[in-house]
Amino acid sequence: MIRLNLVLLLAVLASAIYLVGVQYESRSVFTELDKARSEARRLESEYERLQVEKRGQATPARVEKLAREKLQMRQASPAITNYVTYAAPAAVDAAKGATP
Amino acid sequence: MSRSIQYTSSPLLASRTPVWRSKLVVGAIALAFTGLAARAAYIQVVANDFFQRQGEVRFARTLDLPANRGRILDRNGLILASSVPAPSIWAIPEDVDMDKAQLQRLAKLLEMPAEEISKKLADEDKTFVWIKRQVDADIAKQIAALNIKGVYQRKEYKRVYPEGESAVHVVGFTNVEDNGQEGVELTFNKELAGKSGSRRVIKDRMGRVVEDVGDQVPPVEGRDLQLSIDSKVQFFAYQKLRDAVLENKAKAGSVVVLDVQTGEVLALANYPSYSPAKRTNLTGAQLRNRALTDTFEPGSTMKPFVIALALEKGMVKPETVIQTAPGRITIGGSTITDAHPHGPLTVNEVIQKSSNVGTVKLAMQMQPHDMWEMYSQVGFGQKPQVPFPGVVSGKLRAYKTWRPIEQATMSYGYGLSSSLFQLARAYSVFAREGELVPVTLQKSTERAAGVRVMEALHAREVLNMLHMVTGPGGTAPKAQTMGYSVGGKTGTAHKQEGKGYADKKYRGFFVGVAPVDNPRIVVAVMIDEPSAGKYFGGDVAAPVFSETVQQTLRMMGVQPDMAVRPQIVAAVEESF
Repeated sequence: MIRLNLVLLLAVLASAIYLVGVQYESRSVFTELDKARSEARRLESEYERLQVEKRGQATPARVEKLAREKLQMRQASPAITNYVTYAAPAAVDAAKGATP
Repeated sequence: MSRSIQYTSSPLLASRTPVWRSKLVVGAIALAFTGLAARAAYIQVVANDFFQRQGEVRFARTLDLPANRGRILDRNGLILASSVPAPSIWAIPEDVDMDKAQLQRLAKLLEMPAEEISKKLADEDKTFVWIKRQVDADIAKQIAALNIKGVYQRKEYKRVYPEGESAVHVVGFTNVEDNGQEGVELTFNKELAGKSGSRRVIKDRMGRVVEDVGDQVPPVEGRDLQLSIDSKVQFFAYQKLRDAVLENKAKAGSVVVLDVQTGEVLALANYPSYSPAKRTNLTGAQLRNRALTDTFEPGSTMKPFVIALALEKGMVKPETVIQTAPGRITIGGSTITDAHPHGPLTVNEVIQKSSNVGTVKLAMQMQPHDMWEMYSQVGFGQKPQVPFPGVVSGKLRAYKTWRPIEQATMSYGYGLSSSLFQLARAYSVFAREGELVPVTLQKSTERAAGVRVMEALHAREVLNMLHMVTGPGGTAPKAQTMGYSVGGKTGTAHKQEGKGYADKKYRGFFVGVAPVDNPRIVVAVMIDEPSAGKYFGGDVAAPVFSETVQQTLRMMGVQPDMAVRPQIVAAVEESF
């Protein structure tokens, strides 16, 4: 009887110590997770910041200025534009059939 | 035998201890245990809640989960406003411990004089001092690397406006607390701001989060707002307007571009403007969104509505001739004159040459009620339904109070007031074959259902007159564009000053439609007090209209409807 009690007591002790260990581990893992999450948030806002910066570098004002000054480009006007009208292939075939 | 306890067998040590002593000790120990048990019971049972709470306060923390403010996008999804992290630097003056070199480096990074920082940190009684709010993320990183004791950073967000001064009147800006102060940032503040959430956690002594407890309230992120503005159109309109204002030495100017199919506002720009990033020393003149908040007498731009009403009532046909000689007409003791006297003019030519006399002659045959109805149907005297702070309705007096001379002046745009935005919208009637289009500042792709104001035939006839204005013999040949047919009306109004009209102060307008055959846009331009010699709307505002139309239609991918002499150097070889 006493022996059984002793074994059970040891088992309880072992389980208690294991529980403490597991708890500790879970907390440190959770800390890691939390850190990773806040890193994700940070990266997300960093991404947003870079997006905005990219956009800031590509505003019409800047593009126009660079195109004009650095690349010596000029604004397109209808006089220097070749307009092509898109016709559906079927319509073109039909037109060809009508005027051989 | 006495009642004593024998503790030892040695007679030498034998002392006669009275029994009560041992009993006292036992009793004392029993009492102590009872006390402990009672205390334990008190802590565990009676006051358990209190101690639980106290314990929690020491390790549990509620963390704020801030919601990101929504972005403002243009119609193509380009960012007009967005929040980026911008940490604020703060300090506990008592704890600050830095040497001269560190101070110098900090001052250099913050672009502040070192003395100013020292001054802020001088008051040691304070426990919290902002050194600088919202610095760039890169700079904040470098400051953190300096590792100065007592200097901390707080995570904050800053609004960035890539489009800068060209779109600021529409977009607006937020203050340092992230609340909208102007423009759509203000009107849609609630939707953009979102709602911050919270979570409860357990922190260890190192400040690390080790466990979530209780319920989490996730933050509701701010909604992204997509405007109808096209940032390219917006920029070009602003650029052309700015150039015109500077060239004409004008006080200010505004331009509005509307898509007549969908009723969307493609661009709305004012000059003078300001950069949303540098908001010190702003004046009201810069801040005002003139196109929506300023009213003025629209002058001759009102004439097409009177003519349209005359056509509606069957009073005239476009070819009916009206005698405008000798270029003046007297009504109720006041004389109305034409800038250039003309002889007999057809109704077409009355608009083309902007004859006051011709318009007044027609208007005097109308009932004030009919005129009032036409004006209010196209939106004069009524607040435009756009979500924007400070939108004004302009003034259109009740027709019962009109005296004949007032009816006469109102026919050519004096005695009533309107904003440029209202004027632009009113012209959608001619672009949409008699339908007034509802305007929106948010993107929409469907064709908006308009409200019929006049018959399609009459609207087309007026549109044809507007086209003649820009043709040879009209008042605004400068409104012509390359490739696209345009129609519009000039206006040149004396500015009111006090009770009367200022002698040499004018506003020049041009409101027009393009392309004439299948209208896509309405563009309205206003130049305030041009003072470089020219002041007629056809001279100062029409060129802005022309360039804006040219750019806008090209960007919308509208094919030119007029033949253009091609200047293509290398023709494309085509083979079949």
